[in-house]
Amino acid sequence: MGINGSVERRTVLKAAGASLATAGLAATTGCGGDGGGSGDGTVEIRFAWWGAEERAKRINQSIKLFEKKYPKIKVKTDFQDYVAFWEKFQTQAAGGNPPDVFQNAVAFLRKYDNRSVLLDLKSQVDAGNLDLKNFRAGVEKVGEVDGKLLGVPVGSNTMSLVIDEKVFKAAGVKAEQGWTWDEYFAALKKIHDTQKVAGDSGYFGIMYLYDLYLRQNGKAFFTEDGLGFAETDLTEWWQDGYNRVKAGIVTDPKKVEQLKPKSALASGDAASEFTWDNFTVRYATEGDSEYGLAPIPTTDGKETGQYLGSLMLSGFARTKHPKEVAQFISFMVHDPEVGKIMGYDRGILATTEQFEAYKPTDAPNLAIAKYEEDVAEAGLLGTITPHPAGADTVEAAFLRVAADMSTGKTKVSDAVKQFFSEAKTALAT
Amino acid sequence: MGTAVTTLIKDSPPDAPEKRPGGPVAVRRRGRRENLAGYLFMSPWIAGFLLLTAGPMAASLYFAFTDYNLFDSPKWIGFDNFSRMLDDPRWQKSVEVTAKYVVIGTPLKLLLALGVALLLAQSRRGQAFYRAAFYAPSLIGASVSIGFVWRALFSDDAAVDRTQSFFGVDVGGWVGNPDWVLYSLVALTVWQFGAPMVIFLAGLKQVPKELYEAAEVDGAGPFKRFWSITLPMISPVLFFNVLLETIHSFQIFGSAYVVSNATCGPADSTLVYTCYLYQKGFKEAQMGFASAMAWMLLLAVALVTVVLFWSQKRWVHYEEASR
Repeated sequence: MGINGSVERRTVLKAAGASLATAGLAATTGCGGDGGGSGDGTVEIRFAWWGAEERAKRINQSIKLFEKKYPKIKVKTDFQDYVAFWEKFQTQAAGGNPPDVFQNAVAFLRKYDNRSVLLDLKSQVDAGNLDLKNFRAGVEKVGEVDGKLLGVPVGSNTMSLVIDEKVFKAAGVKAEQGWTWDEYFAALKKIHDTQKVAGDSGYFGIMYLYDLYLRQNGKAFFTEDGLGFAETDLTEWWQDGYNRVKAGIVTDPKKVEQLKPKSALASGDAASEFTWDNFTVRYATEGDSEYGLAPIPTTDGKETGQYLGSLMLSGFARTKHPKEVAQFISFMVHDPEVGKIMGYDRGILATTEQFEAYKPTDAPNLAIAKYEEDVAEAGLLGTITPHPAGADTVEAAFLRVAADMSTGKTKVSDAVKQFFSEAKTALAT
Repeated sequence: MGTAVTTLIKDSPPDAPEKRPGGPVAVRRRGRRENLAGYLFMSPWIAGFLLLTAGPMAASLYFAFTDYNLFDSPKWIGFDNFSRMLDDPRWQKSVEVTAKYVVIGTPLKLLLALGVALLLAQSRRGQAFYRAAFYAPSLIGASVSIGFVWRALFSDDAAVDRTQSFFGVDVGGWVGNPDWVLYSLVALTVWQFGAPMVIFLAGLKQVPKELYEAAEVDGAGPFKRFWSITLPMISPVLFFNVLLETIHSFQIFGSAYVVSNATCGPADSTLVYTCYLYQKGFKEAQMGFASAMAWMLLLAVALVTVVLFWSQKRWVHYEEASR
C-alpha cells in the first residue's frame, strides 16, 4: 500500500481520528436532546400531541402566546396522527425519554401510571403552579385516578348520534330525547324502506357506544381491572348487529371500509353515525347534506349513560422541569386567548374562562355547544370509569373483531370468544 | 481452468513469504501492521455490526424466552411465547396471509421477470431505455411513497376501480375489500420485477449461441429450444432468483403497512407476519412475543432455504467440466 510504514501509520491515525470524531459527534448530538437548562436560566420543555395540520397551526399559535408571557420557557413541539403518536410515545417512554408534556386520554391513564410514566400533578396544584379552578361540569375529575391527578382536561366531549337531517325528514322520522333502541332501529328500517339507504354506518363496533348501552343496563364496558360484561351480552349485541347488516339496515361494512377516510354518513351511504360530538365538524366539510346531532337512544326512555370524556394534558413523571410543565398546562387550559385560538378542536373548552371567550359562529360548532349544554342540563351525565391498563389494545381488538364478524369472516360466537381471549391477554399485561 | 488453479496452489510452497527479501521478522512485523491497519479501517463496520446487528439479535434471542413489556424487566418464561403463538388465531392468520402472498406473488413476479428478460435479451433499438424503464420500479418500489401511491390507485372510486367499472366488474376499491386487498399487494411486488429481470438477462447472455444454432438445424421450434436449452442453461440463475425472491417475500412489511393504513386490515386481510409482529411489539408492547415471532420467521425462512437447496439437485444444471 504505502511506500513505507510511516505513511501507513499516518493514514491509519487519520482514519482512526476521523472515526473517533464521528463517534464524538454522534455522542454530542445524542446528548443534545435532553438538555433544557442553559446559562441564562432558560428552560426548554418538549410537548407532543396527536392530531392533524389544523390542530398544529392552532397549537403553535397558542405556544407563541405562552412563550411571550413566560420568556424563560421554550416549548419544543412534535405531533403525529393518533396511532403513530402512541407507538412513538411507547418507545420513548420505555427508553425513559418521553416528552415533558403530552396530550393524553382516559384509555391510557392507568396504563402509563402503572409504569410510572405519569406525573402526579397534585403537588403542583398545591404549589400554586397549576390552577384547577373553573372547570365545567366537573370535567376535571376525568384526570383523577386512585387519588392522583394524572391529566388536566383541555376540552370535553360526549358520544352523540349524527344524522343526515334531509334523509330523516324525507323518511318522516324524528329523533327525540328519550327515544328507545327499539324506536331507533324501527327508524332505521323505515329509512331503509322508504329512502333506499342504510340507516346506520355500523354502531356495533364502537366500544364507547357499547359502553353507553351497558351503562343503561347497569353495567359498564370496563371495571377497574377488567371487563364489566359477559360473553352472552356481547353475543346478543353483535348477533343483532350482524342481522341488521344482512337486512341492509346497517351499511355494508366492506363499503364503509372502502370509503375510508371518508365517513359513510358523509358519502350518503348511511343516514346516521355514532361518534364523539366534537368530531361532527367533519361531516359538513366532507358531505353535501345537512347534518345534525340527535340524542343517544335509551333502554328505559331516560338514561343515556352519557358522560363527559376528554383530551387531557399530562406530564412526564421524571421531567426535569415539573414547575414549568405545570405552568404550561395551566396556561393552555385557562388562558382565554388560547381558548379563542383552539376553539372546539379538542372538544368543548374545559374551563369557563375559555368557554366564555370563544363564541362559535358556524353552525356545526354552535350545534355541538348546544348539544353538550342540553346533555348537561338534562342532568344525566355519569362519571367515567378510569380504564384499566391495556384498554387501548382492547378497544382496537373490539373494532377489528367486530369488523371480522360483520363481514361474515368470523361466526358471531367465534368472534365473541376471540374478543374475550384477546381482551384477557391485553388486560393481564 | 479448475485444474490450473489447483496446480498453482500446489506449486506455491507454504512458507513462501519468508523467502522474500527483507527477512522474515520485518515481513512479519509489516504483516502485523497491515493487519492492524486493516482492522482499524474495518472498525466502524465492526462496531456497527456488533452494536446494531449482533447485539440486538442476541438480545432478541433472550427476549424470545421472556415476558417483556418494554417497561418492566424481562421475566423468563421458557418456551411459553412459542406455545402461545401456535394457539393464537391471529398468528395463524398471519402465517396464512404471508404464505398466500409468497405462493402467489413470487412465481408471478419471476414469470414476468423471465418473460420480459427474454424479450429484452434480443438486440433491438432503444434496448437500454427499455431495460432502464423496466428496472426503475425496483429502485423506487420499496419506498413508503409508492405504498401511498398504491393505496390511492386501488381505493374506492380511484383509477383501478373506475377501469373495472368500465368493464362491468364492480368490486369497489380493492383497498377496503378484505377479499381483494392482498392482491393489490401482490400486484405491487409483481410490478417490481426489475431486479430478477436483470439477473435473468445476465444469465440469458451466457447461453452459448451454438446450442441454438445446432438445435435449429435439428428442427427444434422456439418452444422446444426454450424448454431444452434456455431453461436448463439458466437454471442456476433461476434458482438464485427463486431463493432470493422467496426470502424477500417472506419479509414483506412496508407495503402492507402503508396500504392498509397501519391497520393490517380490513378484517386482518393484510395481516402479514411482520405486520403482526410489529403490532405485538410496538402497539401491544409484547416485545418478548414479538421477538419469539421474529425467530420463528428466521427458522421458517431457513427451512425453506434448505428445502430449496435440497431440491436444486433435481432441476438445476451446473456445467462442470464442459467449459
